[in-house]
Amino acid sequence: MRAADVVFPPLSQDQPDAEGVLATWFVADGDQVAKGQLLGEVMVEKVSGEVHAPASGHVRLLVAEEQTARQGEVIALVE
Amino acid sequence: MSVTESATIPAEPAVRRLTTARAMVEGIAQEMDRDPGIVVLGEDVAKYGGIFSSTTGLLDRFGPQRVLDTPISETAFVGLGIGAAVEGMRPIVELMFVDFFGVCMDQIYNHMAKIHYESGGNVKVPMVLMTAVGGGYSDAEQHSQCLWGTFAHLPGMKVVVPSNPADAKGLMISAIRDDNPVVYMFHKGVMGLPWMAKNPRSVMAVPAEPYETPIGKAAVAREGRDATVVTLSLSVHHALDVAEQMATEDGAELEVIDLRSLVPLDRETVLASVAKTGHLLVVDEDYRSFGLSGEIAATVAETDPGLLRVPLRRVAVPDVPIPYARSLEQAVLPVPGRIRAAARELIGA
Repeated sequence: MRAADVVFPPLSQDQPDAEGVLATWFVADGDQVAKGQLLGEVMVEKVSGEVHAPASGHVRLLVAEEQTARQGEVIALVE
Repeated sequence: MSVTESATIPAEPAVRRLTTARAMVEGIAQEMDRDPGIVVLGEDVAKYGGIFSSTTGLLDRFGPQRVLDTPISETAFVGLGIGAAVEGMRPIVELMFVDFFGVCMDQIYNHMAKIHYESGGNVKVPMVLMTAVGGGYSDAEQHSQCLWGTFAHLPGMKVVVPSNPADAKGLMISAIRDDNPVVYMFHKGVMGLPWMAKNPRSVMAVPAEPYETPIGKAAVAREGRDATVVTLSLSVHHALDVAEQMATEDGAELEVIDLRSLVPLDRETVLASVAKTGHLLVVDEDYRSFGLSGEIAATVAETDPGLLRVPLRRVAVPDVPIPYARSLEQAVLPVPGRIRAAARELIGA
């Protein structure tokens, strides 16, 4: 089965490629997750947003906490 | 579990972790599902979701009849909560910063805290007054205080102060179900907010089902034989960090007591620990004089001063307003450096 991309959500409408920070992962790399489950919290400037699982499976975290990422970037996979 | 075993066992469902803020909201939402008499009101609790995310998502889930943004009049909306509680509802009222208590203390102290007594026990006031406390992020004199000693000093209110996500949920549920007014004080630094300083201890596994954390029961956050650190709220995290550091670098084992509640105060847990270690350090982010640290000292002295092998130490905010300047603020707060210096002095390390 193809892995589902978990993308950094668009928090800034003005800047589609705005850079943000991966604030918190609520799951660990390799955890079994259910579709719709809250995976993490991200932030652009001081606006925060939630990241949910797009599918059920094992999650592979690609960006560590406190690392930066751009909106739309793939930050995790669900396999 | 051996490596071979772990490789063959299929992955179990992930342990669900939450921030303190999310754990509080989950506790409130689960109780609101159970009891239609629970309402939430305060400044920016509805549309904004609480400026420290203590009510995020409740408006969408329960609607504007049960989650209400109020005008900026603390006297009016704390009074509204008291009236609703007296009439049988269970309101949760948020005072945005505890520092704002000055404008509504008549409602809090002369009414919320006294109606039950004045009525000879005939009238109950089952409300939760929740409020953000604490400093460390340059918010200055009027937005950085803890003031739990002030509320605990005045009779008629229970006072709870969770330090972590699991206790935040359990104490919220206990506070809602309690028939007495409960002041629920959450430190901004333990909420796990993305825009505050990163605090790894503000995210942890939290049971999904509703549960109560007992009010009036302290927790031994870390066991140790050499000295007792009695503390609460964000200072628990600092004390645990210091304890881990001292275990490695000084060969000393600190026992860390998280009070969790100030009213009622779990004196037994404090005394049992001091009887074991003979050394006491009280760490309090409230003002030093006439407060919690003195109360803990008096508890030991009244019971048996001989429990202490050396004089106790206190790390608290010296009796000055919290400064705005970061360097000065760090100088007055009970930061890990101050805790460690006092602990080393205490045990003669």
